[in-house]
Amino acid sequence: MRAGLFLLACGLLAQSPDPAYEPLAKAYEALRSRHYDAAVSLFLKAIEAAPERAAVRRDMAYTYLKIGENELAREQFREAVRLEPSNHHTALEYAFLCFETGEKVQARRIFDRVRREGDPESRATAEQAFQNIDGPLAAGIARWQEAIRLGGGNFSAHYELATLAEQRDELELAARHYEAAWRLLPDRRSVLVDLGRVWKALNRVEQANAALLAASRGGQARAAEKARELLPARYPYVPEFLAALELDVRNIELRRELAYLLLRMKRQKEAEEEFRIITRMDESDLLSAAQLGFLYLGRGDRINAMPLLERVLRGDDIELANRVRAVLRLPQQLQRRAAAASPAAASLDAKQMAERSMRAGYMKDALKYLQLAHEADPVDTNVMLKLGWTYNILKQDSMAARWFDLARRSTDPGVASEAQRAWRSLRSSLGRVRTSVWAFPFYSSRWRDLFSYGQFRTDFRVPFPVQPYFSARFIGDVRRTMDSGSLGSSQPQYLSESAVIAAVGLTTPVWKGLRGWGEAGTSINYLTHHVTPDYRGGVAYFRGFGRGLASEGSGWFTETAADGLFVSRFGDDVLFYWQNRLGFGQGAGPLRLQFYINANLTADVRRQYWANFVESGPGVRFWPSALPSSLYFTVNFLRGAYTLNRGNPRRPNFFDFRAGMGYAFSY
Amino acid sequence: MRSAISLLLLPALAAAAGLPSYSVLSEEPGAWPQILESIGLQRKPASVARVLVLGEGALAAPEWSTRVQDGALLILEGESPLAEMFGFRRGDANVRAGSLTDVHDAKLPVVWERALELPVCHVPDGAQVFARERWSGAPLMAGLRRGAGAVLWLAVSPGNRGYERFPYLLQALTALGLEPPFHSGRLWAFFDYAYRMRVDPLYFAGLWRKAGIAALHVSAWHFFERDEARDRYLAELIQACHGRGIQVYCWLELPHVSEKFWESHPEWREKTAVGQDAHLDWRKLMNLQNHACARAVSAGVRELIFRFDWDGINLAELYFESLEGIDNPSRFTPLNDDVREEFRRRHGFDPLEIFGARKDTASRRLFLNFRAELARRMQEEWLGEIEGIRRDKPQLDVVLTHVDDRFDEGMREAIGADAAAVLPLMARIPFTFMVEDPATVWHLGPQRYLEIARRYEALEARKDRLAIDINIVERYQDVYPTKQQTGVELFQLVHMASGAFERVALYFENSLRKADLALLPSAAAAVGRVERIGPKLVVESAYGVGVPWDGPAMVDGRPWPVRTDRLVWLPAGAHSIEASAAMDGPRVLDFNGDLQSARYGRDGRIELAYRSQARAFAVLDRRPVSLELDGVDMQPDLCSPQVLVLPRGQHLVTIRTE
Repeated sequence: MRAGLFLLACGLLAQSPDPAYEPLAKAYEALRSRHYDAAVSLFLKAIEAAPERAAVRRDMAYTYLKIGENELAREQFREAVRLEPSNHHTALEYAFLCFETGEKVQARRIFDRVRREGDPESRATAEQAFQNIDGPLAAGIARWQEAIRLGGGNFSAHYELATLAEQRDELELAARHYEAAWRLLPDRRSVLVDLGRVWKALNRVEQANAALLAASRGGQARAAEKARELLPARYPYVPEFLAALELDVRNIELRRELAYLLLRMKRQKEAEEEFRIITRMDESDLLSAAQLGFLYLGRGDRINAMPLLERVLRGDDIELANRVRAVLRLPQQLQRRAAAASPAAASLDAKQMAERSMRAGYMKDALKYLQLAHEADPVDTNVMLKLGWTYNILKQDSMAARWFDLARRSTDPGVASEAQRAWRSLRSSLGRVRTSVWAFPFYSSRWRDLFSYGQFRTDFRVPFPVQPYFSARFIGDVRRTMDSGSLGSSQPQYLSESAVIAAVGLTTPVWKGLRGWGEAGTSINYLTHHVTPDYRGGVAYFRGFGRGLASEGSGWFTETAADGLFVSRFGDDVLFYWQNRLGFGQGAGPLRLQFYINANLTADVRRQYWANFVESGPGVRFWPSALPSSLYFTVNFLRGAYTLNRGNPRRPNFFDFRAGMGYAFSY
Repeated sequence: MRSAISLLLLPALAAAAGLPSYSVLSEEPGAWPQILESIGLQRKPASVARVLVLGEGALAAPEWSTRVQDGALLILEGESPLAEMFGFRRGDANVRAGSLTDVHDAKLPVVWERALELPVCHVPDGAQVFARERWSGAPLMAGLRRGAGAVLWLAVSPGNRGYERFPYLLQALTALGLEPPFHSGRLWAFFDYAYRMRVDPLYFAGLWRKAGIAALHVSAWHFFERDEARDRYLAELIQACHGRGIQVYCWLELPHVSEKFWESHPEWREKTAVGQDAHLDWRKLMNLQNHACARAVSAGVRELIFRFDWDGINLAELYFESLEGIDNPSRFTPLNDDVREEFRRRHGFDPLEIFGARKDTASRRLFLNFRAELARRMQEEWLGEIEGIRRDKPQLDVVLTHVDDRFDEGMREAIGADAAAVLPLMARIPFTFMVEDPATVWHLGPQRYLEIARRYEALEARKDRLAIDINIVERYQDVYPTKQQTGVELFQLVHMASGAFERVALYFENSLRKADLALLPSAAAAVGRVERIGPKLVVESAYGVGVPWDGPAMVDGRPWPVRTDRLVWLPAGAHSIEASAAMDGPRVLDFNGDLQSARYGRDGRIELAYRSQARAFAVLDRRPVSLELDGVDMQPDLCSPQVLVLPRGQHLVTIRTE
């Protein structure tokens, strides 16, 4: 029974249909009716079904030949030869196609093999074909060798000879003459690639990589691309750079890349040597001159640095020269580059691109285009102003200040005044000493009083994590509130200390809206003339999102301010303020408005009733755009509730109407 | 902004059925006009254009989606809110792009002269990536179909000349649904048997005609000696070409005669200045100054001409070698004994001395002048030979292919070519003067053809007998982005040349890349004006043009018999086309002469007036049964059942069909 089943299975298997039969039958039908495109796709299906069948590969190849696809036909013959290596007829077809499609070296090799190993008929054909290829190659080599001997040793003669020699597998001869040809015309980088290819075939890997690496840097992009195809995928090692430079001594780009590589590897001495060679070899390579000059300068060697940097200053690369000027603390040069072709047009184009990028919010692209615009027209102060704003948005304020400084010298009053304002603002934040003044007077209906807070502060920029400052605060009101010293008093002494507080303090820089500070000083009550020590400090945090008051256009905004504050004056109390605003800004025209909802929380450690309440309500902030941008007005209607009522002489809830104005400036 | 775009939208729908046109929505159009006009697109206001180009930073608006859905083709350059709206978004990484691969010819190396640092962009689902950065695979050109329209996104602008970066940009547009507006069927192409030995000529004849080729110039040196198999191949090729309405010219490359002639007559081989046989590149040059050699070649040429059914003879590159001139003696010809003897007789010294002791400028100048005069004399003698053959076979057209020496003025000294000396021969022996683009200027842009044409007009050459030969081959110069012209560069070359010259020839049909064939007829169309006036479409062309049209048509108010189901073929000049309600009669589907007028005569006969330098072929939709040529009844000469052969010259024919 088992034997019977086995035989049945074998029989079924034997009768299983040929998967390639159907597409093949249709392919031959299409071929007979000269529908070659259909035949090709059917043969491809047949090959997919039976990929190891040499005969199908051959017929596919013959079909390709009918429609002129010789390279595709060659690939099918190559596969057929792989599948049937002893089929010399197929090998000959493959060789002929190799010859026709430009692969003469391969054709010659196959003919050579078949003429030695094939059957008598194939041998005869192969011999004839081999001689047809080899004879002219040999004759050509002899002719060009003779031409060189007769004095025609120019590029063309060496190159032709090398090409023929490579085709004839005379690789040593080919390498010699490719090199000779390249030495005569070193700008023909493709010949260096040829040389690398032949060295690679000769298994001279190091030489090959040197030639290919040299060809891959500098000069013709196409040759560089070809060289890259032949080079290892990894980045080259330093010894390979050195070998390439030994071959191609004058390849400046290659040497410069090596020098920068050495710098990255912290091998400054060797890098300097490479830069030195470049600056000796090519006086016009200002980049290398500047780099070497900076390296000298960096280690205090001004004597060697200055000639190089002066070379850059004399050169026509204004931007590079200005970088040198910046390092040497010389004034920037604003000269139109004479060599630039149609700078105005180029600048215009780049400016337009920059504006589009800025509008689209692509600030890095905007920066790139503005730099191009500046390069094209270095005296366009409008571009400088835009560069300033772009750097400012990108939070590179020192660069921004540099561009604003240049732009404020513009003859265009609009540009000059805008740049002046921006420069002043930035300079104050970047200067060694910065003085700022702010004041915030407001009226409170709850207290029926007009209060005013203000501060005059001078910060000193020092290279430490914290910076010292001097401060004079004013905290007062018009009802001349007297500090009874009693924290339980119903008077708003915590809103008005009726004092001027002079202090010295330390502050951290602002980091993501967060700042820490602390000061010690003296409070002088201007009503009683009492002088008391005053210590206060804490952390302050502020972040805002969305449309600011001065922004163009409409949109939502939100902001939050949180303060943790120690005040010695209130019995060494620690107070927390958390104030939030969410609203909508209307930012066009002469009046910029923000409507918002307040949500405030105040609390303290000592659990004083007056320091623990919440309040909420609508508010409006506005700025008439004719006034300075740092002056604004606020009106708020707040409903509040004390969260602690122990000792509270008032009702637990309150209304408060507050109207005030804020003003600040710094220098 | 939105309302402005909405306003643009409304008329766009009304114009959707018109011929495709373009508009660049940018203050600086860049190279887009050159790119899009190279295949015949006309510039129109944005409200009616189908192809709209928007540059970097273009703003997004929902109206653009609507317009694309309705059939617009948007081209978006680089990053922009609009590109983002369609899903082409910038990623975090950058790529240094210096080369790319394009699906239209995946094996072709496309290398940019200057690499660019570009952001890697994500393309939306369903988009087809046409081009990728070669090493990283980052998309550089991609298309997205939406409704009846599409969006083509490019990572960066195509460059100042239009072809520096994306050669197959126009192919990508056609893949997204663009149909070019015009077709020409007037191109000539060279054919080298060595590359096409095993093809089916019938298959290729169909391809060539579809690519707008009207005449094939066949490398005749392969057939100089009789050979049964080769002769059969050539006869089949000629028959296949004629059957598709393609003329076939006998292309001679004298002083190269044939491989066998070189082998058989070592005594007549040309010599270089170093005394070697002049086997230079593929050509094996013979000494045509030798009388015995010239006689043998002349007899062979005559026999060759009469052995096959040629339509013309092209006498090409009949001068000396090489482009390197006197500076390279190993490639410098002619220095055979006959030339040396003649020069010695005239000037008293052996010209070989100028490569040795006698290197003074005056001696060299003397020989170079002598050599240029020798080339002119040789050209005159061989034109005379051909004229003699034409007396016995008057159907033949004659072409002299001659390298340009007006634009590149070094040619006279380099190879002895002097157009100014040859052109006066046109008055005595009528021939077409085909200017060969010298290899030294192959890397220059397409504008050079206007300049070349202008310089020949200054020589008072007959404009109607001037042709230009564009070499579509790998250039020896360091050119970008492709070694050989293809895509946008090729179309610009062909388009510019077609506007400047009566005839454009391409060297050669085998080097044309498959991806280019479909758009070649559009690039070759020289259309000056297109206007829609009421129901009529007015088209003005320099040499006649095919205009896409469905169904019967009237041209200049009369039912028009020269058309296919998809194209109406118009004569040169301004003509109006409008839909026709008339019943369909017999049609001329294709005609490779210069059509002057056409109409239906009595009994549905077709009347054609035409002009042609060689025999003309009319492909009909049915079998012709009788013919009247200039008022005289004739038996129709048919090369296949529906292809009529008409004599060269200017004629009026009346065709009666089955």
